Amino acid sequence: MLVLRRRPGEKIRIGNDITIEILETKGRQVRIGIEAPDRVSVLREEVFLKIEQENRQAAQSPVDPTILEELPVME
Amino acid sequence: MKIETTRFGIIDVESDKIITFPQGILGFPHSKRFILFPHGDKSIFWWLQSLDDEDLAFVTISPSAICTENYSFKIPDDVQEMLKIKKPEQVEVLLLVTISDKPQKSVTVNLLGPIVINIETRLGAQLILDPVKYPVKYPITPAKNAPLKEAV
Repeated sequence: MLVLRRRPGEKIRIGNDITIEILETKGRQVRIGIEAPDRVSVLREEVFLKIEQENRQAAQSPVDPTILEELPVME
Repeated sequence: MKIETTRFGIIDVESDKIITFPQGILGFPHSKRFILFPHGDKSIFWWLQSLDDEDLAFVTISPSAICTENYSFKIPDDVQEMLKIKKPEQVEVLLLVTISDKPQKSVTVNLLGPIVINIETRLGAQLILDPVKYPVKYPITPAKNAPLKEAV
């Protein structure tokens, strides 16, 4: 992992079209500005982890086929 | 080709029915090949069974089978490219279903991370939508004829 030290107002560029700016630091929090093209998805890691965790739970669904039959069907 | 599965025993898979997820499904990056088949003749549920991991199978449902108002989203360009999507008719959306019996019996669908499949190229991916708009657990009530009007 590349580790850099930056001050508020300073930026990092990734490739040609992604810029990350350190906007402000306040106690233990850092505000970051990200400029990236639409095709690049920028997400908090928590969202990934949430979906990963949900996928694992879904994969462990106890398979009691009856519950699937009890569910309502849209007419 | 014959594939061994934990839940369904040995199943016969036609190679042109295989759906490939180039990036896998979040949490299961090594499972790339899946097959989709209905839970039963009249069921609204489909199984998404991994061909790379015999234990791995998801229950899925089409969003059109549940009452979710305004469930629509744009497929990002990079995903359209990866799945070789040229027109909307090629796209099928599935939601992963989570069934748990603890602490109580519940059935929820994941609206935050839908599965999109190009039914022509048979390529698939899991999207990540806006967590402010879509819950990861959207309940579908296990009761007959119950109106489903939970807010998303």
